[in-house]
Amino acid sequence: MRPSAVSGIIFANSRDEALGRMTEVRSMASLPFGGRYRIIDFCLSNLVNAGITNVGVITKANYRSLMDHIGSGVFWDLDRKRGGVHLLPPFNISGARRYHGYIEALYGAMDFLNRCNSEYIVICEGCVVANVDIATAVDFHIEKNADITVVYRSGVEVKNAKNMMTMTVDSSDRLVSVKLPESISADDLSSLGVLILKRDLLIELVNNAYENGGRNIDVDIIADRINDLKIFGFKHNGFSAVMTDIKSYTKANMSLLEAETRADLFNPNRRIMTKNRDDMPTRYGTKAKTGNSFIADGCVIDGEVENSILFRGVTVKKGALVKNSIVMQDCVIGENAIINDVILDKKVTVSSNNIIKGTKEQAVYIEKNQKI
Amino acid sequence: MVRKKCVAMLLAGGQGSRLGVLTSKIAKPAVPYGGKYRIIDFPLSNCINSGIDTVGILTQYKPLELNDYVGSGKAWDLDRLSGGVHILPPYQGQKGGDWYKGTANAIYQNLGFIERYDPEYVLILSGDHIYKMDYSKMINQHIETKSDCTIAVLEVSMEEASRFGIMNTNPDGSIYEFEEKPKNPKSNLASMGIYVFSWDKLKKYLTEDENNPNSSNDFGKNIIPAMLADGQNMRVYRFGDYWKDVGTVDSLWEANLDLLNPKIDLNLSDPNWRIYSRSGALPPHYISNKATVENSLITDGCEVYGNLDCSILFENVKVEEGASVEYSLVMPGAVIGKGAKVRYSIIAENAVIGENATVGVLPETVSPEDFGISVVGDNLTVGAGAVIGAKKIITENVGEGEKV
Repeated sequence: MRPSAVSGIIFANSRDEALGRMTEVRSMASLPFGGRYRIIDFCLSNLVNAGITNVGVITKANYRSLMDHIGSGVFWDLDRKRGGVHLLPPFNISGARRYHGYIEALYGAMDFLNRCNSEYIVICEGCVVANVDIATAVDFHIEKNADITVVYRSGVEVKNAKNMMTMTVDSSDRLVSVKLPESISADDLSSLGVLILKRDLLIELVNNAYENGGRNIDVDIIADRINDLKIFGFKHNGFSAVMTDIKSYTKANMSLLEAETRADLFNPNRRIMTKNRDDMPTRYGTKAKTGNSFIADGCVIDGEVENSILFRGVTVKKGALVKNSIVMQDCVIGENAIINDVILDKKVTVSSNNIIKGTKEQAVYIEKNQKI
Repeated sequence: MVRKKCVAMLLAGGQGSRLGVLTSKIAKPAVPYGGKYRIIDFPLSNCINSGIDTVGILTQYKPLELNDYVGSGKAWDLDRLSGGVHILPPYQGQKGGDWYKGTANAIYQNLGFIERYDPEYVLILSGDHIYKMDYSKMINQHIETKSDCTIAVLEVSMEEASRFGIMNTNPDGSIYEFEEKPKNPKSNLASMGIYVFSWDKLKKYLTEDENNPNSSNDFGKNIIPAMLADGQNMRVYRFGDYWKDVGTVDSLWEANLDLLNPKIDLNLSDPNWRIYSRSGALPPHYISNKATVENSLITDGCEVYGNLDCSILFENVKVEEGASVEYSLVMPGAVIGKGAKVRYSIIAENAVIGENATVGVLPETVSPEDFGISVVGDNLTVGAGAVIGAKKIITENVGEGEKV
């Protein structure tokens, strides 16, 4: 396939409201994840690993951190003369207000769609952590002569399944019915927010739905056209996590402590790329104790770390204990401080001897730049 | 071509033969260092941090990996519209061509490259030292003292002085004599192999040197003495921070372990003087419940199930359960099998140490004259249960249970 035959679209503000304070100051796509990533790295890398070199990122609000992260796209090899990565802030909507729903968002990105000159578009929701083999999914789409292909998963329970589409498929993988249920059981096939379709068809569907007041792709395109369009499901078999609430965010991070998840998500043939910070390797002191933890570069560990995810540049001082926690970039855990079941956002300083404890059910979340 | 004030020329063509198996396939500047770096990251990062954005890299010996690593120079912010990083191998001209005969000849063959930028100053660097240095301070001194050549020097102990090129200076810092490895040193100012030349003078002396058939075309042996003999204004620039030559297996090992020494100031993450490197999009490292990690440096892509003490793991290293690594460097992609013991050793890229094998010995278990760092070459396999003693350089696969 010609590299320009497929372009990608990413929704950066997908499920922004689901994570409360964590996504108050940033878009879902720029939410830090897994020690050195932001959620959008998975979508961007999946697209790039499928040979896609032209990607539009649709933003809505709070996209400063996203712009800073993506920059020229160089870290995903998307600084291109032909194509590359394009941030698509709200546009073409009367009064330049924020969009409501993905249909309006795509309508606002019509210039990008009209200009991008590729036959196919892959649409990704920027709230999904998975290493999806999009190249194979596109081949499947072409082989099936499908109008739309939806990438789905099964075997994952979701209690809080707001706006998450489930589907049934026939023996040829064609979609028979779709639903937007309250919760999802392990037997259900649920959408991973990845759609493949021809660009011309997408433009037509978006224009029609927009004129008819449609807002939701799942309702106003997939459900609406399930009988007259050939819509197929492509199953993703590896690890996947959709950020539906803080609990799902915590669980997805913690699943990186399992060797199987790491092997699948960080497949060496389909690498997950991210912005590089040039930290030096992590330094462990003579009194350091570490167990079952996933730790990025640039940390200095003189205390104890257990069942935790440490992002770049975290300092754990002498006598401190970090347990069952997610500690984002550049946090400092002071001497003899204890944190347990806690999420520290970027650059939080925990003073010496301080104790912060959450519960297994509900982690305590501390906002960016706090000193406690 | 936009004119540049200063162009840096980085001599990266040497074989580094004293590193043996570690440079059997790669040039010395491409040798891995400090978990995620290669030696060449230091001069390149120093250049960009000092405001020098035009660097010629002179390559000759096994350049493939080095060329690949440097690429467009993007990793060091040296991919520039004007200037940037350029790989300069020897080439054929109308009247044939030559390999680089010496350090001076390498620069001479690339006078054309420097001329394109018409600089005022040329900075000559080498690719075999670990140090953080602001070259702009040295260049400023060169300008202020109206020097023709400035040579960076480091104070070494008098005992060590006979291993270095020594600068004998007047009280004002001007050089009156240069002695290569003097038996009875008169001074302890050792040349660091870093020179700033005024461009017109460099061009003149390189051209004269090239026309002298008896010259070995070397900066230390020929250019510096010739300029001194002519009474050119030559001065030392004193450097007092960390600097280490990594020309031998022992010094490479030492320079790495220096990163673990709290008394040595070698912070490579310093936001004001960051050392950049080209990294491979790897996930963070994982430390299992069964592991113990003390006084060590670990980088992305590693999986640690065994025990580490005073060691450095490079990218993508795996240390399996029950294995122990002490006072060692484990370079990218190497695997230390279950129950294996590695101490006082360097395990090169992608080597595999079999289960329960032993590499190297603890210094207290052998007499001092028998002790030394052991090296397992890249992509080699050491069989299960094999035993490799002290000071061994392994260049071929070692079979199961074999004793070397």
